[in-house]
Formats: sequence, structure tokens, C-alpha cells
Amino acid sequence: MQPTVLIAEDEPLMRERLLELLAQCWPEARVVLVAENGNDAWDGFLEHEPDVAFLDIRMPGLSGLEVAERIGSMAQVVFVTAYDQYAVDAFDAGAVDYLLKPVQVERLERALARLKAKLAQPPSDGAAMGELLRYLKTALPGMRQERSKWIKASVGRQVRVIDVDEVLFFQSDTRYTRIVLRDYEALVRTPLKDLLGTLDPERFWQIHRATVVNVNAILAAERIDAERMQVLVKGSAEKLAVSRTFVHLFRE
Amino acid sequence: MWRRLTNWYREWDEEYLAVLAQPELAAQAPAGFRRCFAEKMAQMPLVQRQQLLAFSLKYRGARLYWTLAALALVFSVCGVILHFCSESIGWLHAIVLANAIGFPLAAAVVSAWFDYRRIIHDSRKHLLIILGCLLAQTLVVAGVMWASGTPFEALGGRLVSVLKGAAVGMLVVGVPVMIISVMRKRQSEAMNVRLQREAEQAKMARELAESQLRLLRAQIEPHFLFNTLGAVQQLAQQGAPRAAELTGNLIDFLRSSMRDMRSEQVSLAAEFGLVESYLKVMQVRLGERLRFGLQLPRALEQVQLPTMILLTLVENAIKHGIEPALRGGEVTVSAQALEGALRIRVQDGGVGMSTLPEPDGGGGTGLENVRHRLRLVYGDAASLRLHDGDPGLIADVIIPHAQA
Repeated sequence: MQPTVLIAEDEPLMRERLLELLAQCWPEARVVLVAENGNDAWDGFLEHEPDVAFLDIRMPGLSGLEVAERIGSMAQVVFVTAYDQYAVDAFDAGAVDYLLKPVQVERLERALARLKAKLAQPPSDGAAMGELLRYLKTALPGMRQERSKWIKASVGRQVRVIDVDEVLFFQSDTRYTRIVLRDYEALVRTPLKDLLGTLDPERFWQIHRATVVNVNAILAAERIDAERMQVLVKGSAEKLAVSRTFVHLFRE
Repeated sequence: MWRRLTNWYREWDEEYLAVLAQPELAAQAPAGFRRCFAEKMAQMPLVQRQQLLAFSLKYRGARLYWTLAALALVFSVCGVILHFCSESIGWLHAIVLANAIGFPLAAAVVSAWFDYRRIIHDSRKHLLIILGCLLAQTLVVAGVMWASGTPFEALGGRLVSVLKGAAVGMLVVGVPVMIISVMRKRQSEAMNVRLQREAEQAKMARELAESQLRLLRAQIEPHFLFNTLGAVQQLAQQGAPRAAELTGNLIDFLRSSMRDMRSEQVSLAAEFGLVESYLKVMQVRLGERLRFGLQLPRALEQVQLPTMILLTLVENAIKHGIEPALRGGEVTVSAQALEGALRIRVQDGGVGMSTLPEPDGGGGTGLENVRHRLRLVYGDAASLRLHDGDPGLIADVIIPHAQA
């Protein structure tokens, strides 16, 4: 089977370099997506479900750490970073690998050797990864986006300021995002993938590539068949599909 | 008896020296006179306390006895001279009198020398004590004389002469004590001023060195240098002519930074040059996400400003404004003469104020450094203000500037 790869890197030349080096050192891999920021990386990950993600740590939108946190054990993550040894010592203890920028061929080859060995094994439970991410977040400050409390959205000809706590769920509508509240719904011009980073992941669960639901608004999750589930929302008749990636959220 | 006395003295002497060295030990002294004395010592200001400690250590043991003997000899000689000057006083009387005045005078001078603060501070109290002593002395003398049957009429004349003698004695002791106290106070104030000035100068020098060190650290930050070298490597591998251009800009930038590190003031033209090479480097790296413009009026080119300030603001605009913005933005750097002042503005169209990051772990944000440096150079006459640029952020530095 051909391994699939996602690359997320905000600097164009660094992107090109990593692409060229990968083509040279790992010709059998197929790069399914090259993202320029964290939001696109996570969205693209959900779309393509690649086996490996090369993530820059410092990116616009979701940081590499936040994307890795969401990916969890669904793929092998390799961080690409300009942080020096002291900050990345922790990687050695963890399940993931890291590459220092600018990436050099020999180092990439070593990382790829490790990666291929990992891909041959069954996936780990991601506990070590969680530990590592917690450490990195404290070691690398200023990486988190500010959470927004309010969202400005147009409703008909009005612009409303919506308290995010009152939102039942967000649903992606191509380049727009539909925001559903108890009494009305609104459209914002921001794509859902870009809103995601400004929402607290503890209170707003992503249950599908196109759906984020307020935990407080969840009435129940029901099984449709062995693989599929749907979420019933308080104060709304809509049933929201849970994609396979997120079914684990509702396991007892 | 003698042994107990010497033991007591040695113990007290050691305790007293220990309190001078470590005033917090005063609380451990035995209650009563010794506690009271130790607390007085502990209350002395540090400098005087240390001077007294050095003095006490010098005049200790045999040396103290020799000094006392020498003083007794000097006073006795004074007494003999007094005897020859005024035949009415017997030579034994004169020697006793000279020693009786001399030793308290010596003790008073020593205490005034080291504890002048209290003497000046409580001068009214001391005056009252002196007057009280005079009164008590007079009453005692009057009582003794009355008891020994001196006639009442003769009492007045004798009392006046006793008072005169006492007053002369007080003056002989009091005047030198006051003079020494005032002199020592002046001396110590001058020393305090000098010490304070030296401390301030040392602090300024250190802060300046620190701010320049931070500048150096910012330039060799792994993010900047390694990412830029990575870009150079990639361009060179592609054989792109832009590789040479990027290297050139990086060299310009590093060279100007070195110059900045060596000097404290730099012309606006030079600083704009530094910022331009930095922005060109960043533009190659960030691609379309960064656009920039520089506006420096010719008339302001030679205006001097402290190094590091402008670059720090531009770096901040890139780091916290453009880099985190999904679609990037434009950075505009401009200088404008206002009335009596110069405004340097860095505007970015990035993510703006609401997402200003937390201060970094090490040494605070660049903005704090800028504020600090402005304060070091201009005091309150300069300022750094941030406004919402909508989108992005505007940073304004105002520095004093006399128009030519």
C-alpha cells in the first residue's frame, strides 16, 4: 500500500524544500495535501486521512501542536521546527519524531527509517503523545490562538453579535459557516476550519469535518449501524452525523 | 570577683561585636541594659555600624588599655598646664578635673562620631538632659552646702560659681559633640549621594548592556537565522538568482545589526536601511503573505534615535501580526515630524490587538524592551503607544525632536 503524507508549513521555500526532499528520499510515498497553515492542515487531514503528517510547529491558525493534538493516534506525526535542541529534547522520549529546520537529507532519512518501522506496527494508544504535547505547550509559549467569546454574523440585513456559548452547533457550508442557535440561525463568511481554532475544544466538539457542536447542547448520540452515529441537539430538530473519525468521542 | 568581672566584660564585648556584624542577633541579648544597648547598636544605619565595628575591632584588648593610658597621660598633662595657668587651682585638683572632663569628652566624641544621626535627630532631648543635669547638680550642691551649715547669704554666690563651672564643662563637651555630629552628617550625606549616583550609573550601564544583548539574541534566534538559511539553501539548490539577492539582504541585515550593537544612537536613514533588509529577507521567506512600505522624509534622514527600537517594533509586527495571520498583511514603517517631536509609526495589517500574545518566558516582550530603552534615554519625554489598526496594530514611538 502506498503511504499517504500531509505537509503543513507556512513558508513557501520550506514547503518546496520538504517536498523535494521527500520525493528524493521516499519516492513511494504520495503527498496528498500541502497546507499553508494549521487550519487547512487539520481540515485536509479530515478529508484525506493520511498516514503521516509533517507539521511545522509555528503556523498561522492552529499551531502544529494543536493539529497534532487533534490527530492524536490517527496518524504518525513528525514535527518540523526551528526550535533548538533544548526545546525539542522531549521529542526523543515521545512517540513522534522531529526535524530541525532547515531540514537536511541525512536527518530526514533517519526520520523516515523510524517512520517506516512505525507504520509497519499497529498504532499506539497515543498516551505518550498526549504527555509530550502537554510538555511542549508549556515549553513553547505564545502558541495558542485567543478564544473568541463573540462572533459577528449577518442575519438577513442585520449584523448580530453572537455569544458563542449560545451556539448549538456550527456547520460548514463551503466557504461559509452556518451558525445555529435556539431561535435563529446565521451565516458567517469565515470557513469552519478557520473558526475552529478560536473555539474551546473542551466545550465545542468537532464531530464531523463539517460540524462542530456545543457539548452543552448535546441531548444524545444514537447509533445508526455498526459504524455510524448521529447526535440529537436540544432545541433543534436536526440530526447531526458523526463521522467515523469522531465516533470515539461517544464511546462509553 | 575580678575573674567574674573580666568574664562578663569579654562576653559583653563579643555580644556587642556580634550585634554590630549581624543586627538581628540583638534580640538574643540578655534582657536589661545589655538588650537595650544591643538594640541601640542594631538600629544604627549600615554604614555607621560597619565603621563602628571596624573601630571596635581595632581598639580591642591591650590596644584599648594602652590608648586609655595614653589619653589619661594627655589629660593629666593638660591638668598640669591648667595648674600653671591658674595658680588658684591645686595641681592634684587640676589633674583630676582635666581627666574628669577629658574622658567624658572622649567618650562623647566617639559616640558622636559613630552615632551622629541620633544626636542631631534628638538634639532637643539632649539639651533637656543637659539642663536637667545642671539643675540636679545645683540642687545637690546646694543641699550639701546647706547641710554642712553654710550661711544662706553665702550660698547664692557659691551656687553661681558652681553653675558657671558646670556650664563651662557642658560647653566643653557639648560644643565639640555638636560640631562633630554636624560634620559627620554632611560627610555621610555626600557619601550617600555619591554612592547613589554610582549605583545609578552602574545600573544604567548594565541595563544598556542587557538591552543590547537582547538585540543580539533576537538576531541569532534560531527561528530567524535557521529559517532564513533554509530559504537560502532551497533557492541555491533551485539555482534561482534570488538566492544571491537573499544572501545579500541577510548580509546587510547582519552587518547593520552589528553596527547597532556597537553604538547607542543611529540615524533614522541607517535604521530604515536595517529594517528594509530585514523586511526583504522576510518577504522572500513569507512570499505573498508579506507586503511592506517604508516612508522616510529626506529632512528626517539624519535624525538620531536609540538603536534597536525600530527593528524591535518591525520584528514584533512580523512575529505577532503577519506570521500568525492566515492571509498575511502589509507592514508600513514611517517617520513624521510633529511639533517638537518625531513620530515613528509601524503599522501592520495582521491579526491585531485582541490576539497579542502573552509575554515570552524569557525577559518579556520586545515592546517592554523598547519602553525600557526609551525611558533610559529620554526619561518621560518619549513614549510608545499601541492602537488598534483595524485590521492589525499600530505602534507609535514619539521621541523629542527639535526642528531645524
